[in-house]
Amino acid sequence: MKKVNFWPALSGGLSGFVNGFFGGGGGMLLVPLLVKKCGLDQRRAFATSVAVILPLCVLSSAIYLLRGGLDIMAALPYLLGGLIGGSISGRIFKRMSILWLRRLFALLILYGGVRSLL
Amino acid sequence: MKEYVFPVLAGALTGILSGFGVGGGTLLLIYMTTVAGLGQTLSQGINLLYFLPAAATALPGHFKNGYIETSVAVPAILLGLVGTVLGALIATSLDVGLLRKCFGLFLIYIGITELFGK
Repeated sequence: MKKVNFWPALSGGLSGFVNGFFGGGGGMLLVPLLVKKCGLDQRRAFATSVAVILPLCVLSSAIYLLRGGLDIMAALPYLLGGLIGGSISGRIFKRMSILWLRRLFALLILYGGVRSLL
Repeated sequence: MKEYVFPVLAGALTGILSGFGVGGGTLLLIYMTTVAGLGQTLSQGINLLYFLPAAATALPGHFKNGYIETSVAVPAILLGLVGTVLGALIATSLDVGLLRKCFGLFLIYIGITELFGK
């Protein structure tokens, strides 16, 4: 008999919390969990995390909106940008090499972390 | 004009990463809080909303390429929804300064694991 694997649900729960709490970043937690605990390969993990985070963002952005933490007008230009970037992304993902991208990304993240603390 | 051009550009560039699932949202958060000078809670709300078009446009490509692992995504979404409600409720009632400190620590943790992880 196959053992029930709780990791997919647990990974989703943890990333969901981070996603709601920090208003993003859930994917950065989810991708490594999908690879290490759920047995997905890197590319599948990245793509699957997008599919998981999307419905979570619907719910958490609604909560931010209802609780007054969100101004639609200020968000509009970013939404337009996201629309453009996302459609490019879906087309070129297959051909992307992920490694160098992650290194650059790590440096930018560290910069942001230090700026937020100071 | 300038106040729209840069947000759209920032959204488009990070949107490419968001569609990959590599943390474009986190970069956008850093942009909004440190460059555009928006508040932490507002930035988080915008970021959640911004992910909707970015992910929705990237996903069809991922599905078509067969990169979405549904057996993992479904349980992750189910518990993720619970987690994200908790996170969003806590974040929108928390002191902004404290939220920002937590965010900074989270970024540094992610940056270090990305940089030195395998």
